[in-house]
Amino acid sequence: MKLPSFEYEAPATIADAVGLLAEHHDEANVLAGGQSLIPLLALRLARPGLLIDINGLRELSGVTLTDGWVVIGAMTREYVAEESEIVADRVPLLTAALPLIGHEAIRSRGTIGGSLAHADPAAELPAVARALDAEFVVRSQAGDRVIPAAEWFEGYLATARRGDEILLEVRFPAAAPGTGAAFVEVARRHGDFAIVGLAVSLTLADGVIGDARLAFSGLADVPVRAADAEELLIGEPPSPELFEEAARRATAGLDPPADLHGSSEYRKQIAAALVRRGLRAATDNANERR
Amino acid sequence: MVDITVSVNGAARTGSVEARLTLADFLRDDLDLTGTHVGCEHGVCGACTVIVDGRAVRSCLMLVVQAAGSEVTTIEGLAPDGTLGALQQAMWDEHSFQCGFCTPGFVMQATAFLRARPDAGEQEIREALSGNICRCTGYQSIIDGVLLAARRGSEA
Amino acid sequence: MAQIAAERYTGASVKRSEDPRILTGGGRYVADIKLPGMLHAAFVRSPMAHGQVLAVDVSAARDLPGVVLVLTGAELEAMTVPGQDPLFAMMGGGGPMPEYTLLATDKVRFVGDPVAIVVAETRYLAEDGCDLVEVDYADLPPVASADTALDPGSPPVFANLGDNIIGPHKRSEFGDVAGTFAGADRVAGFRIDVHRHQNVPMEGRGCVASHDAESGVMTVHAATQGVHVTRMGVAMRLGMEPDKVHVLAGDIGGSFGLKIGASREELAVAAASRALGRPVKWVEDRGENLSASGHAREESFDVRAAVSDDGELLGLDVKMVIDTGAYPVMGTMVPGIIEMMLPGPYKLAALGFESTAVITNKASYVAYRGPWASETFVRERVLDLLAKDLGLDPLEIRLRNVAERTDPPVTMITGRPLVGVTTKESLERVAKLVDLPAFRRRQAEERARGRYLGVGLATFLEAAPGPRSPEGPSGPMGLEHMRLRLAEDGVVTLFTGQMPHGQSHQTTLAQIAADEFGVPFEQVRVVVGDSDVVPFGMTGGSRSATMTGGVALHGARQLKAKVLDFASNLFEASASDLEIADGEVLVRGDPDSAIAVAEVARQAASGQFDADVDTNLEVQASYDGGEGGWSGGSHCAIVEVDVETGLVKIERYIAAEDCGALINPAVVEGQIRGGIAQGIGAVLLERSAYDQDGNYQSATFMDYLLPTACDVPRIEIEHLQTVPLDADVNFRGVGEGGMIVAPPTLVSAIEDALAPFGVRIHEQHLPPARILELIAEAEPRR
Repeated sequence: MKLPSFEYEAPATIADAVGLLAEHHDEANVLAGGQSLIPLLALRLARPGLLIDINGLRELSGVTLTDGWVVIGAMTREYVAEESEIVADRVPLLTAALPLIGHEAIRSRGTIGGSLAHADPAAELPAVARALDAEFVVRSQAGDRVIPAAEWFEGYLATARRGDEILLEVRFPAAAPGTGAAFVEVARRHGDFAIVGLAVSLTLADGVIGDARLAFSGLADVPVRAADAEELLIGEPPSPELFEEAARRATAGLDPPADLHGSSEYRKQIAAALVRRGLRAATDNANERR
Repeated sequence: MVDITVSVNGAARTGSVEARLTLADFLRDDLDLTGTHVGCEHGVCGACTVIVDGRAVRSCLMLVVQAAGSEVTTIEGLAPDGTLGALQQAMWDEHSFQCGFCTPGFVMQATAFLRARPDAGEQEIREALSGNICRCTGYQSIIDGVLLAARRGSEA
Repeated sequence: MAQIAAERYTGASVKRSEDPRILTGGGRYVADIKLPGMLHAAFVRSPMAHGQVLAVDVSAARDLPGVVLVLTGAELEAMTVPGQDPLFAMMGGGGPMPEYTLLATDKVRFVGDPVAIVVAETRYLAEDGCDLVEVDYADLPPVASADTALDPGSPPVFANLGDNIIGPHKRSEFGDVAGTFAGADRVAGFRIDVHRHQNVPMEGRGCVASHDAESGVMTVHAATQGVHVTRMGVAMRLGMEPDKVHVLAGDIGGSFGLKIGASREELAVAAASRALGRPVKWVEDRGENLSASGHAREESFDVRAAVSDDGELLGLDVKMVIDTGAYPVMGTMVPGIIEMMLPGPYKLAALGFESTAVITNKASYVAYRGPWASETFVRERVLDLLAKDLGLDPLEIRLRNVAERTDPPVTMITGRPLVGVTTKESLERVAKLVDLPAFRRRQAEERARGRYLGVGLATFLEAAPGPRSPEGPSGPMGLEHMRLRLAEDGVVTLFTGQMPHGQSHQTTLAQIAADEFGVPFEQVRVVVGDSDVVPFGMTGGSRSATMTGGVALHGARQLKAKVLDFASNLFEASASDLEIADGEVLVRGDPDSAIAVAEVARQAASGQFDADVDTNLEVQASYDGGEGGWSGGSHCAIVEVDVETGLVKIERYIAAEDCGALINPAVVEGQIRGGIAQGIGAVLLERSAYDQDGNYQSATFMDYLLPTACDVPRIEIEHLQTVPLDADVNFRGVGEGGMIVAPPTLVSAIEDALAPFGVRIHEQHLPPARILELIAEAEPRR
């Protein structure tokens, strides 16, 4: 499987990249880490006329804590975010999810922005972003926009990023005191895409859940927030019975897709198990982090 | 065509390449470094693993143009002139491999891993190598080779 | 009776001579070969399962700069000789054969069926060329399952066959089937299915073909299990004299039965090279390997078992259907082997067996490590299921049925004597190692806590090569040949038709020869992979330990005798007073007399001896397997099933094996572990899946899942004390056993874990979703 031909540009500045997108967005793909795009090219499922390689845009890399937000540049390698102390301290859900992404060699090249712009509903990072109400900052020649996660994921491999926009950074709200997080998933093998995954973040204060976020991967063509379950959890003390009921609410009315790895019914079953396990793990994590 | 210079195994190598040429194919076809093997070309099997700027990377998932200015190490570059480095020696001692096709990828991945985690135990080694596929050995002999190298490294 | 000589290397885990190059990137695989002027090929392949080819327009492809040649199926037909697949031709089939062209001409018969070959300066350009070939297809209704193929109304995949049933459909009976069933306390019926899965070596198929117009020689650099079979296949289809085809093979990245003979693609590559007068390389990519190279094991069995109330398995009556795919290669041969092996190591008194091979619009059924493995799966499953019905323990029912080792030996109802089998010992050993009573206690405790652990076991025999048969070895798996030569530099050189692809023959055969001849291990060289130079032979059937080990042993002995005969001219002693030790020839008892073997060789080559002195230090040896013997063993696994997710964890895996005398224990254990890993993959991860329209769904490693280092546990291996049968050669094959017995072992363990739910398992592929389905469908039996 050899890649098809394409024109290639490696812009040196963000302005150059944005200019290229303005002119060529109909037939261009942006190359970030390449861990999702290059397989598609090799399989000749994607045939862009132009590949815009943004690996030279060093200013798009970095992790900073600013005004209660952890700001991660779009080109930040996954392994860098994985090793970041700021992320471990203030976005524990991201730290929990990152080691589950593929294998170390994938995370050497894959980027936070690339994964979120690719928006594979089976991937971990979209569920994390959706759970935490992350914000996406994009730039075009018309200027910058900030898009909340609830609006970012539009469909299978489709986001609100317009063709002429480049993703600059993703902002995650810094975790409040008492936060505990977990990413649980059912995967066929270590490192595989999950059949179903669940991002859980909650806060515990005085033995009561203050805030609860649950978002699934693998249940639809976008990450799915379990809003009904979240509502149930807020204000309650953690208990197996509470988690059981949350699992019921989170999976009622779900109609997940079927594929080679799992039927629709199977996905519903494991989704429920993941809610129970994820809430337990997040609660334990909250207690550990105190 | 794009003109590039990449440092491979310590030597600057130049080429005029199509942008679509992968690092794996550049190493194998343009530089005749056929030790890096191609097993799937979609980033799952790990046979093509090399080290780029100190990190293990799947060379089938990198365009060679992206490696311009980087330091690439392949299996040929691990030890001078066909001698065996410590990991390779330990793998020989433990009968780690059979057909040998997956071997360079495992050696490079394990090399990068042991540099970062010289004290790793078996479960951690298994997880670190779970992105490299071997069809012949059932992995135990490979893990034993890595464990032996780690043990010898810590005793040295 | 001569004694095995030094025994310094045989039996030891001598480090492999292959490894220095393997570990440093110095291996030379087909994809590494570069020849001057070499071009690259890619194939246009059918996107549909069944279709008529109305038109093929290659003009745009031909016009693409860098594309040098495009050949359609019709053009290739004109350049080649029609014929059968070389492996099929060698093994023999039976019944009318489907007629088809080298590449597809009027019809495509599976997704991936090659339609045209594009040859270009690079593989990238060749694939670009393939994109430009326009093929006009008309869809035909797909024959996407065995059930459809069995329907006489299904559209024939091959016009000349009339229906989709291939091979003679016959029924065999051994013993008194009717009487046994009539008189049995119970007759139980089962339907058992084995799913389609495949070899997946890490290196796909491929070759570099280079035709030299001047000499008329076609050189093929191949990845093959036998250079001569490939040579014959190429010669036949290209209409060449066999001695004008020269096949070379270097390192091969695994095969497990896939790379035998010459595939349609490789023949097309050879034809293209001849047309161009330039070398042409084709290396299959992973998509081609997964979808088009061939699949295995898709078989179903309707089984009736006649059993006594106390668990004696009296008879089996089996109806088998095998899905051979679209271009039958060896699918029609597997049922015969299964029939023969079904009784296994048990005292089965009666067997009825019939099989039907069907053609479907899927990739060909090819040989995959232990192609007949389903006989063990079916038999061991049936025993477990009967045990449950009768309230017996799985160990108990097996011990009740296992044939004792008697003299004369018990004979399988299908003919082969169970000479030297250690099945009972292996069952008892593996049970002791796992400590079944202690496990049962722990299992009960864990069940009370809501954790589901299970233990399973299974036993098998492998004819590697099997007991001596009165007719002797025959056919392509016949006598094993070897040429042994003491080269001028003093290196004992073995020329063998074996073609190792991971089996470490260059080490193991050298161990035997070094011991037998009397030189250090480093002074033996094993030459493989050159059809001009090695005798006929191939690697397969787990035969090399006995057959090639044996010919190496006896051949080295013969060579030594010849060398000592010559050497007596250099000593004032007769040959019978001479010996060879540590690389020196010496008069027995007189170390000062020693002359280096290398010096003896040099002298023989010096030309200074009279014509009546035989200075040609070479022998041609052949070996018939001696007393042969069975390999076999019992495996046991402890698993835990997560009943919320269906995920299975293997907590412990034990193998008690008997493969006779060990040449190199590390090599033996590597073979066993590798086979077990493939068995784990088959049960938990691997499936070559087609949808109802014949679209292939497992064409990447994201969908065809191979076991990783997190999926295969540490495997404990015990080598049993074997029963020696032969005076000299008691090495037996071990290559396929792990893969044969691991699937029933695991399925047995999973079924045991799920016993509280009343689960009974009649299939081999148990992904997590299926396990939850089995739990939901079962009815708990209190």
